[in-house]
Amino acid sequence: MAQSPHFFWRIARQSGAVVSILFVLLIWTLFSALNIMPQAILPSPASVWSATVEMAENGTLGRDLTVSLSRATIGFSIGTSLGVLVGLLTGRMALMQVLLAPALTLLRPIPAIALVPLAIVWFGIGEGSKYFVISYTVFLTVWFNTHHGMQYVPDIYLRASRSLGVSRAREFLTVIIPAAAPYILAGIRLGVALAFLSLVAAELSGASSGIGYRLQEARQYIRTDRMFSLLIILGILGAVADVIVQRIGQRLVHWQQG
Amino acid sequence: MTKQVTQGHVCIDDLSITFDVRGGSMVALAPTSLELSPGSFTALIGPSGCGKSTLMNAVAGFVPATTGRITIDGAPINGPSDKVGVIFQQYALFPWFTALDNVRFGLKRLKLSKSEELDRARAAIAEVGLEEHAQKYPQELSGGMKQRVAIARTFAFGPQVMLMDEPFGALDAQTRLVMHDLLLRIWEKHKATVLFVTHDVDEALILTDDIQLMSSGPGRIIKHYPLAEPRPRKLNRDNVHLLETRDEIIALLHQSH
Repeated sequence: MAQSPHFFWRIARQSGAVVSILFVLLIWTLFSALNIMPQAILPSPASVWSATVEMAENGTLGRDLTVSLSRATIGFSIGTSLGVLVGLLTGRMALMQVLLAPALTLLRPIPAIALVPLAIVWFGIGEGSKYFVISYTVFLTVWFNTHHGMQYVPDIYLRASRSLGVSRAREFLTVIIPAAAPYILAGIRLGVALAFLSLVAAELSGASSGIGYRLQEARQYIRTDRMFSLLIILGILGAVADVIVQRIGQRLVHWQQG
Repeated sequence: MTKQVTQGHVCIDDLSITFDVRGGSMVALAPTSLELSPGSFTALIGPSGCGKSTLMNAVAGFVPATTGRITIDGAPINGPSDKVGVIFQQYALFPWFTALDNVRFGLKRLKLSKSEELDRARAAIAEVGLEEHAQKYPQELSGGMKQRVAIARTFAFGPQVMLMDEPFGALDAQTRLVMHDLLLRIWEKHKATVLFVTHDVDEALILTDDIQLMSSGPGRIIKHYPLAEPRPRKLNRDNVHLLETRDEIIALLHQSH
């Protein structure tokens, strides 16, 4: 391959996701054109597109996006701030670690959707329960990564900073946190993905707008074209958010290569 | 010696260090006494596991004494001291700081004004010949340059005692020679007491006033070689004493393997 890089092959390798998306679209178009499955089960790309246009034109898409994105953003922000804060504490303070780390670790396997009933009892069907479910899931993952990152700060950095006689506060802020930053950012990146996952879980019950709610509504009318449209939009939002966080992360931990 | 050095007097008095290991304890250093006079340059040399790094880490305050004690100018060592600077084999530069900011980090304890701190850091970087690289990050520098930054960072705050743990062990032979000249030049200027851990006999012969030869099982000092030859030294026929010392040390190191 490296010996005779075929022109089209080279283009395909450099195009990232584009070729892959076109390929899947092609298969999808073929499948629906062959009419193997009824339109109501597998809608054609064209009908998914027109469903998207329809939702955009009647204003629901814009409203749903705004509502869902603000839920994801608020939940993510609360979860990430708490996760980093608690992770910094449990990662470097023995007392906090003993008191909190085992309990938080036990909470991790509980899926977001299982929390929805409890969230509704505690916070009602308003925005509070959505923020709770999203921030809870994001919190646990960000906490876990921060906590472990703080524990893997190389000993040599601590010896160097102690022999250079900086204060504990300066050591914490300018040695320990930067050393743990790659782990913290990996946790935040996972947190972004989880914010979208738990967003839908939170909206599947007790919401009256949002992408997740619209999916549920589409089920009642068997509008698979809308479902496809909404699912694709969710995928794109998640991917874009991931790229943004990754780019910011690379800037922040510029010293970390690969 | 042009300047009389009065500070940096290291007394190691009956120091032993035992580590807890699974199912018991291990003597890393048997009771050892050693005195380093102010401004002297001493090498600790020996096979791996002879406790040379343990002894140095104890003087650095990283490892507590099991028995005995260490004092510097009469003050006992119970942890990292502001009289002591450490140079590590792996450089231990912070990759998130530029070369200049790494040096400034070591100056924080002096609580200088920002412009004083910058001036002093720049001077230290210039002293090791890295003016043009001051704004680079460690990962953009070669191994030799990284160790220069580490030397600048440590000498900049003015320690009376310098501990160097195989500082040039990761460098190629050519770079090592350049670093020897640089280190001697900076040491002559700052006149700190240096304790230098190495496994390279030639390096110890060229640089130091005293070689303390160590042996393992348990770690201890077995022989002392004072070296009075003027620096810069060369290991050739003009320095028969150095060559004889080298043969003797190498023979002893072979035995202990």
